Amino acid sequence: MPIHEKSLLTPDQIMTADKLVIDGVDVSGHWNTMIKPRTITDYDPDFYKKIEGLPGGENVSRCWQCGSCTNSCTMYAINPDFNPRYWIYCTNLGLQSEIVKDKDIIWQCVSCNKCTNICPKDVKPEGVMKALAHWLELEGHTPKSKSSVFDEEFTRQCLARGRIEDSEVMFNFFKKTDQDVVRLVKTGWLGVFIARMNKWTELRAGRWGKFLARMPITGPLKMAWAMVFKPRTKSWGRTGEVLAAYVEEQKRKAHAAH
Amino acid sequence: MNDTILVVGAGPCGLSAAHAAATAGKRVVLVEKEQVLGGAPILSGYARLVPSGEWAKDAIGRMVKRVEDDPAVTIRKGSKVTKLEGEAGDFTATLSNGEPVQAGAIILGTGFTHFDSINKPEWGFGTFEDVVTTTQVEQMIGAGKVYCPSDGRVPERVCILLCVGSRDRQIGREWCSKICCTVSTNLAMEIKELSPKTDVYIYYMDIRTFGLYEDKFYWRSQEEFRTKFVKARIAEVTRGADGRLLVKGEDTLVKRPIVIPFDLVVHAIGMDPNTDNPEIAKVFGIELEKHGFIARNEHYTGSFATNRPGVYAGGSALGPEDIDTSISHGLAMAMRAIGDLNALARKAA
Repeated sequence: MPIHEKSLLTPDQIMTADKLVIDGVDVSGHWNTMIKPRTITDYDPDFYKKIEGLPGGENVSRCWQCGSCTNSCTMYAINPDFNPRYWIYCTNLGLQSEIVKDKDIIWQCVSCNKCTNICPKDVKPEGVMKALAHWLELEGHTPKSKSSVFDEEFTRQCLARGRIEDSEVMFNFFKKTDQDVVRLVKTGWLGVFIARMNKWTELRAGRWGKFLARMPITGPLKMAWAMVFKPRTKSWGRTGEVLAAYVEEQKRKAHAAH
Repeated sequence: MNDTILVVGAGPCGLSAAHAAATAGKRVVLVEKEQVLGGAPILSGYARLVPSGEWAKDAIGRMVKRVEDDPAVTIRKGSKVTKLEGEAGDFTATLSNGEPVQAGAIILGTGFTHFDSINKPEWGFGTFEDVVTTTQVEQMIGAGKVYCPSDGRVPERVCILLCVGSRDRQIGREWCSKICCTVSTNLAMEIKELSPKTDVYIYYMDIRTFGLYEDKFYWRSQEEFRTKFVKARIAEVTRGADGRLLVKGEDTLVKRPIVIPFDLVVHAIGMDPNTDNPEIAKVFGIELEKHGFIARNEHYTGSFATNRPGVYAGGSALGPEDIDTSISHGLAMAMRAIGDLNALARKAA
């Protein structure tokens, strides 16, 4: 018998065994492929609150499934699996596993905001896409974005010392995101950046004085000193701890605000 | 020429017609088959009415009192019209107690009958105690507590199934009952008010909260009270091993089968033609339309006329209708009846 609506099957639902014996009957070979039931057996009634609590997701429960967002979507035109309407529905009913299935495409939203402009219920689907991507990252379903890594390093230094050290932020950011600093200097944008800070044209023209006058010397020295001694803002004391606790509390409140 | 107007049925439509005719100087005889005036909102114990939010016993109670206090209105409770003779301007109706009533015009506000959920056995009403109707939930809300009839517990999760006894060719109900969507969204909010921890899901084919009920009921229940709307027509209600009800169907937006546990399943029951309609048609000599409601004659210039001159019908006797509109129909029918009587009088003079 043909399988109806084959398109609804995803690879993870299909089970195949080389050898299969059911109730003592060997069904290896032709009958060795089974499909897991697709039945939804429960909702998570509070899941939508998590998305509502993240920036952009505030209006998610307003959706009535007209599909305007998906129809107007830039990404949907390229990839029919990119379906904001569907993810919003899954959010409201609490079908988390459906959302996790699409973790590798939800972040692709290009924020063109056509959906935001067309939505008759002011759901702000573009914001919901951001909130969903954020949630997927918070839950560890998707790797941390580079900007999150940068923010974390930046915040860590702020809280620890009441100040940041540019070079240390960059150094740790490159390290945590597996970017090779030497290669970036030799062949990447960092080399170009350094070159432009220096006046090579002056040097080539033999104007040593002008070249040296423009060459950053004290700056890098200060940076190197700071990287070694890690100075703190004067009388910083326990400010960092208090701030960290306050930020945590505010985050918790914001996530539970709805 | 008889100047009395006979009003049959003392629900919102009939009460409105009786009062209107009396204020216009006519004598009115109001016949009600039950021992209580007020019609479905009172007899079925509705809680707060759509869209006013007033308790039914207060709002409809005022209508009842207004008619009871009117010396021009004679009330006959526990009575039916069993025979009608004569013609427009000069009818003689016989009541079930044998009393004759002379009247120039007859207004029918005979209403509807709630759909009996037993006619959709697959949805569990009559099989499982915790499958109830919107009318029962109205009564629960009126009593101040929403509970599962099986053991009295407060439900963690309630689902309301829309279109029970409506839009269903299988059982010969090829009409939309018009008001159940609004009533259900209203109930969802009332449930949430009484029990904030209860989650309410509404299973729908379409949401038809018409006119100004859109944002006041549908949007508000979704946005402020977090009612969940699931697009699925339920196939079956059964019971799981733990005693909770299982609602089976297909979620057509996810394109997957669903089997979801619920504590309380509510049927949003529709409006059937009054089960007395065949008898009413026979007694008054009027026709029924194909669904079994009273047939309306040409409406543009002969509003609320039946096929028998001098007999008018309005409210939910004509088809599913909301209370506010039924009240307007009552007023309009009084106007029609008096206008036609005046025309007869002019002709006779």
